[in-house]
Amino acid sequence: MLKFFPYILKNLLGHRVRSFMTIIGTALLMLLFLFVFSIQSGLHQLLLSQDDRLIVFQSYRFCPSTSQLPIFYEEVIRGIPGVKDVLPVKVVVNNCRASLDTVVFHGVPAKSLSRVRPHVRFLSGDWIAFQNRTDGALVGRRIAERRGIKTGQSFTVAGVTVNVAGIFTSDVSGEENVIYTHIELLNNNQHHQDLHATLYEVSLADPQQAEKVATAIDAKIKDRFEITTETKPQKAHFQNVLADLMDLIGMTRWLGFVCIGVVVVLVANSVIMAAQDRVKEHAVLQTIGFSGWRILVLMLTESILISLIGGILGTLACVAWLTWQPISISTEGVSVDFIATPGLLGRGLGLSAFIGLIAGLIPAWQAGRAEIVNSLR
Amino acid sequence: MALVEIEQLSKVYKKGSQDVPVLRDLNLIVATGEFVALMGPSGSGKTTLLNLIAGIDRPTQGSIQVAGQDLGRLSRNKLTAWRAQHVGYIFQLYNLIPVLTAYENIELPLLLLPISSSERRKRVQVVLEAVGLIDRYDHYPRQLSGGQEQRVAIARAIVADPTIIVADEPTGDLDADTATATLALLKRLNEEMGKTLVMVTHDPKAASVAKRLVKLEKGKLIDDQLHVVSFNGMKSSPRSRQLASE
Repeated sequence: MLKFFPYILKNLLGHRVRSFMTIIGTALLMLLFLFVFSIQSGLHQLLLSQDDRLIVFQSYRFCPSTSQLPIFYEEVIRGIPGVKDVLPVKVVVNNCRASLDTVVFHGVPAKSLSRVRPHVRFLSGDWIAFQNRTDGALVGRRIAERRGIKTGQSFTVAGVTVNVAGIFTSDVSGEENVIYTHIELLNNNQHHQDLHATLYEVSLADPQQAEKVATAIDAKIKDRFEITTETKPQKAHFQNVLADLMDLIGMTRWLGFVCIGVVVVLVANSVIMAAQDRVKEHAVLQTIGFSGWRILVLMLTESILISLIGGILGTLACVAWLTWQPISISTEGVSVDFIATPGLLGRGLGLSAFIGLIAGLIPAWQAGRAEIVNSLR
Repeated sequence: MALVEIEQLSKVYKKGSQDVPVLRDLNLIVATGEFVALMGPSGSGKTTLLNLIAGIDRPTQGSIQVAGQDLGRLSRNKLTAWRAQHVGYIFQLYNLIPVLTAYENIELPLLLLPISSSERRKRVQVVLEAVGLIDRYDHYPRQLSGGQEQRVAIARAIVADPTIIVADEPTGDLDADTATATLALLKRLNEEMGKTLVMVTHDPKAASVAKRLVKLEKGKLIDDQLHVVSFNGMKSSPRSRQLASE
């Protein structure tokens, strides 16, 4: 088959404009398809992560700023059996609604952060620099790239002025959209006992005990402070916060499927035109001794190749886009990253080849079955 | 030795619901090494006969044996494989593949054979030299003159060393000088390389190059002459047979 490759390539190059237009069209549609599905991947990864954590949030509160839990709940929660660690988090956002450029501050006790976030890797700066400044901030890679933030720089967002002590990367989905700072700073430097957290992040000794521990936390807080909290596994908390967004993200899948349909039509149209242009050429090839099956395979290879080249270009464009301009959509302080996972990219390439096969099948079959004498006329 | 044996051959085309007979009860034998010219007015069935001999069309009735193979009995795939091995076809309009160079056009039939790329290269060079186009091997059809294109087409037809070469009006689209050169090349193929040729032509001068002239009219063979002298003012041998009455 390899010895026929120059013929296939020369046919694609011989009709440069048509091939170019089809490849570009396919590339753009595959880019759109991958882009749409990269948010599905991001959502999937977010909901997969952290099954050993509970989130304590004030009941019937939606935007982070409305949940106010005093800092001393930390010790109460820590005393409940099954709790391994507790992190009070004060969440401040510049925009509580769904947005592509939300800045999310997580105010935390500075010394606790390195203990509960050991997976964080610094691209610049370090823990010490963060702990030594009362306005120190550790900025996630995505937000730093999106806003052009550098270590040592000061900036103000949502009324909060911080100095960048470091930029970090993390494998935990959504975390690279967070700016960690001191909880005191987000409480306007009030006295420690007057500090409030938006939520408590509870690490469990045994994830199997999540429901039991959650019930115990809510009961204890209600009993001690007459405040109603709603403690959930982190995944359930995210699902609750992102409910509306998930519906929208689910809808975008259909846009991805429409892209696939349009690629099929585009490639099929190109292959049909190629087959019609070359009716006589195929008859000549058959006269020379090329079988109908071989002509079918040549046409199909051409179709798969053109679709695959478009798919590769679309994939590269998607990777380049999401690498150089990371995109996340956030609502109520929870961010969903657009992630082009290797699996998604692989599926995109496989799909492009499959589209080429499907789109080229009928015209290639017709080309292979054509009667020589009629075609030569 | 008979290379082509045709018996009671008929070919009918369907035009809507109407049957259009093109060849009627035709008998013909072509021996190995012959150079036969098929002549006749338009619609006489000469190209249809050529296509049947080349195995690109199928008879409605009768039998056609070429190189010992009854073509009517071969499946589509077997007939294709048979053509690759036994037939070299020269078209009136050359029908070169426009995106391939002269070299690549000539190489096409060899891609179907189980031979190495070095062997392919060697064979293509031999035929390129034979048709006098060795210096044009990397030219595309659009960069060649009509005569050069036809020489590439001839090279493509002979490169796989077929048993029989068929040519459909090979000089029909060429000027007089180029046509003469092309005919001389065909004659060389027959005389020096011993190739069996069957050629359809309207042109008596082209037909005069052949050793034998077969005339058709309304799908019937009406004349079959052996040439004594193959030049202008064609002469026929005493063996000339009048078949119109058959």
